[in-house]
Amino acid sequence: MGWEEKQVRGYPEFVQTAQRYHGRPIFALFCGDKDAAGRSWCPDCVTAEPVVRKELHNMPDESVFIYCLVGDRTYWKDPNNEFRKNLKLTGVPTLLKYGTPQKLVEEECFKAELVRMLFTED
Amino acid sequence: VQAHKEDKPQKLLEMNGHTSVPYSYNYDLIVIGGGSGGLAAAKEAAKYEKKVMVLDFVVPTPLGNSWGLGGTCVNVGCIPKKLMHQAALLGQALEDSRKYGWQFTEEVKHNWMTMTESVQNYIGSLNWGYRVSLREKNVTYENAYGEFVGPHTVKATNKRGVEKLYTAERFLIATGERPRYLGIPGDKEYCISSDDLFSLPYCPGKTLVVGASYVALECAGFLAGLGLDVTVMVRSILLRGFDQDIANKIGEYMEEHGIKFIREFVPIKVEQIEEGTPGRLKVTAKSTTGNQIIEGEYNTVLVAIGRDACTRKIGLDKVGVKINEKTGKIPVNDEEQTNVPYIYAVGDILQDKLELTPVAIQAARLLVQRLYGGATSKCDYVNVPTTVFTPLEYGACGYSEEAAVQKFGEENIEVYHSHFWPLEWTVPSRDNNKCYAKIICNIQDN
Repeated sequence: MGWEEKQVRGYPEFVQTAQRYHGRPIFALFCGDKDAAGRSWCPDCVTAEPVVRKELHNMPDESVFIYCLVGDRTYWKDPNNEFRKNLKLTGVPTLLKYGTPQKLVEEECFKAELVRMLFTED
Repeated sequence: VQAHKEDKPQKLLEMNGHTSVPYSYNYDLIVIGGGSGGLAAAKEAAKYEKKVMVLDFVVPTPLGNSWGLGGTCVNVGCIPKKLMHQAALLGQALEDSRKYGWQFTEEVKHNWMTMTESVQNYIGSLNWGYRVSLREKNVTYENAYGEFVGPHTVKATNKRGVEKLYTAERFLIATGERPRYLGIPGDKEYCISSDDLFSLPYCPGKTLVVGASYVALECAGFLAGLGLDVTVMVRSILLRGFDQDIANKIGEYMEEHGIKFIREFVPIKVEQIEEGTPGRLKVTAKSTTGNQIIEGEYNTVLVAIGRDACTRKIGLDKVGVKINEKTGKIPVNDEEQTNVPYIYAVGDILQDKLELTPVAIQAARLLVQRLYGGATSKCDYVNVPTTVFTPLEYGACGYSEEAAVQKFGEENIEVYHSHFWPLEWTVPSRDNNKCYAKIICNIQDN
């Protein structure tokens, strides 16, 4: 079946989508919002996204890749935002395997080998 | 030999006095065992830009349990042990808290699954962290069982049975230990060990702990602290190798706090009465001092009678590494070198050395610094502080009273001691005559 991508924005939409695919491997990339021209306020996210997308074919069959925009810069900086509180995210970009402690944060997402390891790790 | 043609480290060999012939090994260093010692060595060697491989493989327990990269301490030792000990301490703290003014009406109960899931989640993050760390430092890691097949050569077999051969200039054996079983009917089918306890997917219930090692007493301690019915079956003495005066105080404290002890008995048979999670087991035991036989029923039997070094099935005979045939431990010189000059060893498998994570890490780092960094410092294995996390926690550094008497002679030893009442124990009216400290002095040291 291969894999599929879902694009979401904000915490409630993320949770709803993750719950809908319960039982399948779920990987999520969290990035800062993009402006009308498609540019994110988060420069590291701009660097990481193409690296991650290039490795998506390594995900196991039936995987769901959730591309999640977390919000604007002010929302993200708030230490009590739902992503920080509930998902324990510490930075953007974050790439994680949902439901496991496996994740890559910030510059770790720039490294194709680490991204590949996350997607293929047992 | 598999082809690994890129970037081979060069090693020049003199042959019959003629000019050197270049010989290429796949790696500068292959580490067998990805635990405290092995990983510390691999990461340190990577700092010197050496080509390093780590082979780590967990042979599943008799009940089929396994775990990720990081070794005993991270997965089935210090880390989950201390977290579960903390869980038990928090139970005690909740009780104490009422005397400190905290008011709550609900009865406090413990949920094994909640605790175990949290602990396993943390361990999972450590396993992952090590994977990332090795990858970032360009250390090659394979989840495969390493064994020597000839000089400078290991065979790595992964869980699918695929075999690969690798060569290296030097090797580090850091394979650690695994729990010993009783060798009685029913032991492997029905008993668990510390390898199974920390990820047990159901509450163990009424538990018999067989053994009197620190593993046995620490586990008995936290299981009882979580509210379970715990019995400890001891063959002879408690905490062999530790100060016996202290060991007995620890035992007494545990007994006074609800843990049952059956002294001078050993199990001879374990049978299953009923399957389940947990099931019901019948344990038959024989006295070590007579012919008396007793029986007991438990939900879980935890065997903690000792650990054996993983040195007998890694092909050491193929490369001539000598081991102590009786104990399986590897004797090394003060530079962690085995009798084979290019093979080193570190960690719990060493003969006559303390089996502690920080010791393995320190020895590993210093070894690598000597091999590749021109350093000369050797690991000091004496005077290492250690703690036993029994309900009455025990910290020690240096000689036990028995060891001091043996080494220096009773007439040369003076012991200063005192009971003390920790300030935090006063308000909740906890025991005022249990905590104890002693200093063992050699009179000749003034």
